[in-house]
Amino acid sequence: MLLRAGGRRLLAPGLRRVLAGGDGATAPAAVGGARAYHERVVEHYENPRNVGSFEKDDPSVGTGLVGAPACGDVMKLQIRVDESSGKIVDACFKTFGCGSAIASSSVATEWVKGKQMEEVLTIKNTEIAKHLSLPPVKLHCSMLAEDAIKAAVKDYEAKKVKLGQKGEVTSTEKAAEA
Amino acid sequence: MASRKLFLGLTAARRLRSRAPVLVPLSALLEASTSTSHVAAATQCSGVGPWGMFLSSRALSSTRQVAQSACDAPAPSAVGYRSILPEDEYHKLADETIQGLLEKLEEYGDSIQMDGFDIDYGNQVLTLRLGELGTYVVNKQAPNRQIWLSSPVSGPSKFDWDASTKGWIYRRTGANLVQLLEKEIGEVCGNSVELS
Repeated sequence: MLLRAGGRRLLAPGLRRVLAGGDGATAPAAVGGARAYHERVVEHYENPRNVGSFEKDDPSVGTGLVGAPACGDVMKLQIRVDESSGKIVDACFKTFGCGSAIASSSVATEWVKGKQMEEVLTIKNTEIAKHLSLPPVKLHCSMLAEDAIKAAVKDYEAKKVKLGQKGEVTSTEKAAEA
Repeated sequence: MASRKLFLGLTAARRLRSRAPVLVPLSALLEASTSTSHVAAATQCSGVGPWGMFLSSRALSSTRQVAQSACDAPAPSAVGYRSILPEDEYHKLADETIQGLLEKLEEYGDSIQMDGFDIDYGNQVLTLRLGELGTYVVNKQAPNRQIWLSSPVSGPSKFDWDASTKGWIYRRTGANLVQLLEKEIGEVCGNSVELS
């Protein structure tokens, strides 16, 4: 149960690591200490936005997979890019990690939608951390989210190059056969 | 349901990496810090690009050799963090570093008499509060053999042990942990500090 402890600070007893987009927000069993998640973090945790998956092989999709299970944080952030305009038309994420990690990647998907790819590369972890009022120890989560955005864009660009190369090969073959 | 899919996705990623010999040494990197996460993500789609990033992002001489041998040999042995730095050695080095910082910072705090200066060490996490000026957190990240720092000045960073310089280095910037803290804390508090 969440106790509203006045103002904007909410006490969320024992927000454990859960899989966003899994069986829903199952109430964690352990009672945590005095740690308080900011209400924005709790909001993203309870009402996660853009959780999901795009088809990885879709040429318009870029996938960024960052982190490591051993560290406790893994983020998969995907973008769908409109080829003609270079605009990110849709984004989704799946994150395994703490509440701050889930919220950071959720915020990242919200912020990249409707923006140009070059523009989202300027999204900084400090902005995400500020938006969520992350405590010092959780700044690493916001950094991971920034990395995830960059990785997704890089993946899309790499795919585009690869497909472009394939296209060139096919056209030269056709010219040779003609 | 979704959790199984995510793990399948992760397992598939590992299988993909193990197919191409050049990606084998990089397979350990997915378990590494996020500074190399770009490499991990990029390697899933383009087998060519990552080498440039791999070589430029690694300053350790031991891994440069690995990269070269991987280019020449068809099947290089996987070099993971576990073989570069054994766990007990990592803990010894990391504990020494953090204990050293703790002692020096305590002395510093006593000498400068700053308002709001508070240093705390619990559960192997070093927390330095500088009143209104911000809070530093230094902790170990054993699976990656790293020391993680959260700084109110430079944000989050992840440091790896560099045997050649006998220091903890943040690969993205080349910064040394102790030197970085000396510089920042000295500036923030207005009094120079020696932490080495």
